[in-house]
Amino acid sequence: MTASGDGSQTTGAGAAGGDTAAVDDGGSTDADDPTERRALEAFDTDRWVGIVGVALAFVGVGVVLRHPGTVLVGATGVGFALYARLGDAGEARLAVTRRLSDRTPDPGEAVTVTLRARNVGDASRFDLRIVDGVPPGLEVVDGPARVATALRPGASVTVSYTVRASRGDHEWETIRAVTRDPAGARERITELETPTRLTCTPELAAGGDLPLRGLTTVSHGRVSTDMGGSGVEFFATREYRRGDPLKRVDWNRRARTGELATLELREERAATVVLLIDAREAAYVASRPDADTAVEASVEAAGQAFTALLANGDRVGIATVGPRDCWLPPGAGTDHAVRGRDTLATDPALAPTPADGTFYGSLWFRRFRRRLPGDAQVLLFSPLVDRYPTSLARRIDAYGHLVTVLSPDVTVTASSPGAGDGDSGGRASDDAGATPAAGTTSAGTTSAGTTPSGPRGAGSVTQGGRVVALERRERIRDLRTAGLRAIEWGDRSFPVAVANANGRWSR
Amino acid sequence: MSTAEGREPPADRPERDTRPPTSAVLVSLVAAAVATAAGTVAAPLGGAVVGMSVVGVAAGSTLGSSRVLLWAAAAGVVGIALAAALGGGAEPLLVAAVALAVAWDVADHGVLLGRQVGRAARTRRNVAVHAATTLLVGTLSAAVVYGSYVAASGGQPIAALALLLFGGVVLLSAFR
Repeated sequence: MTASGDGSQTTGAGAAGGDTAAVDDGGSTDADDPTERRALEAFDTDRWVGIVGVALAFVGVGVVLRHPGTVLVGATGVGFALYARLGDAGEARLAVTRRLSDRTPDPGEAVTVTLRARNVGDASRFDLRIVDGVPPGLEVVDGPARVATALRPGASVTVSYTVRASRGDHEWETIRAVTRDPAGARERITELETPTRLTCTPELAAGGDLPLRGLTTVSHGRVSTDMGGSGVEFFATREYRRGDPLKRVDWNRRARTGELATLELREERAATVVLLIDAREAAYVASRPDADTAVEASVEAAGQAFTALLANGDRVGIATVGPRDCWLPPGAGTDHAVRGRDTLATDPALAPTPADGTFYGSLWFRRFRRRLPGDAQVLLFSPLVDRYPTSLARRIDAYGHLVTVLSPDVTVTASSPGAGDGDSGGRASDDAGATPAAGTTSAGTTSAGTTPSGPRGAGSVTQGGRVVALERRERIRDLRTAGLRAIEWGDRSFPVAVANANGRWSR
Repeated sequence: MSTAEGREPPADRPERDTRPPTSAVLVSLVAAAVATAAGTVAAPLGGAVVGMSVVGVAAGSTLGSSRVLLWAAAAGVVGIALAAALGGGAEPLLVAAVALAVAWDVADHGVLLGRQVGRAARTRRNVAVHAATTLLVGTLSAAVVYGSYVAASGGQPIAALALLLFGGVVLLSAFR
């Protein structure tokens, strides 16, 4: 139980990482200096309240009845009362180290965390409970990150547990150590700081070709424009003007009619794109309690879009809608690719759990519009489970930016075989009219508060889930009616959804 | 414990098993059974009432409720008082009292442990130390009391012993 040796589990695979981790831990690996701590006031737990009263009652009754047994029982009770009054809960003077089997794991990888606490104080701690401050974004998959024990001076306790790494930059919070005196009559909480950081940066999967909308910068690129000029695809012919290059003169026409005409080719230009990810609290929704949130899906899709666009020579930036500010100005090049990857992986605004703070929509929008380059188009990633993203998309559109909405569908559970998210385009309106839930839908939205935990299937469709799915469908229809492009993907992967959309959109 | 956990983070992970640790429940049940047995030796009717505290301890541990445990302890106290009133001997009464104190103390300790660290965490050492100290204190206290009773009961009235105790309590309240 209290493994006092140094044999904490540093797994074979992460041996190197474990060693560095041991060095990184502020040099307090095995030293006697206690970890930085903040002890709160000790307080009475009132556990033994009333024992004196009961004991004295026994004594009194015993005296009156002249019965020695009763008096003796009462006297024993007084002994307990004395015990409860003796001693105080001292603060936990602990030297704590935390080791991770891997500091930079891949998403989904299991990371073994080994917490070792050594009593470096002078007094024994008869009752010590330690609760590790696991970062909220990490899920403990094996063993609680808690232990209750008793430590002599110099003794140590080791607790190891496993967390599943998820995208982001995770920092461990304060450890709470609760100490009590032997009787449990006094209690004190000590907060210990052992900062440990785990960074999980997913590789950005290369996405397919992402359809952008017709466009407008001066740089050449791959997006076709409705402008004649130099390019490869025929666009129009026009009258010859002085200065036109001779190789673009339509000589056939000259031979036929005798007039000089110039061929115009479709110009292709680079786009400036801002990937706007909805990271408000409302966007942290998932189809099931244990599924990834829509923000996670958005970030993954944005990563694919980011690589795809960058590879095609477009300038790509990243921004989030949310209480925390996140803005990566549009750019290109290798450096920018790395910056984008880091932003998507570890920016606190895109943390796996909602950021604190209040989101002020109008303030945010003003700032966003000031930053947004005039010719930029916006790809908005949002689960569309509330009204705000729809109005936001239309507002950005109204300011003259081309908007495409990409929406992970959280109202679809994984177990709806073949139901898909019925509407890729033309069929959208039909589907929305017919049945709100084409297949099993259950929206584990925070607002609806549904937690479908039982066996998934037709039986677990909640009314709230149906309503959310229906509302979302209506919002997508609104967007499309307003002339904004919308892609949604649920069961299918994002690239498939994009490929489908690609086939159906004309430029 | 490690079933599908919800990603409903941060404050407290609801999937944790917050029932009291098995060791604490076992120890408290055994102690309550000992109290019942001792109470039965003192006076069968009193022992039966003390036996209700076994049920109470089991219920309180299952529900994780300190209040139920307090009622169980109260039932035990009433049972001991009854056994004493029915003329039970001093020795079994003392054993019953100490065992009852241990039963309630460990069960109550276990409930809070369950709430703070959960059943799946390692708690055995903590429970063992807590149970041992309580048992030690109870035994010591009973031994001192019983010893002084045996030594002083050469014709001394019980009132003298009570006065001695009263002095002890006054001393005790001066501690803090």
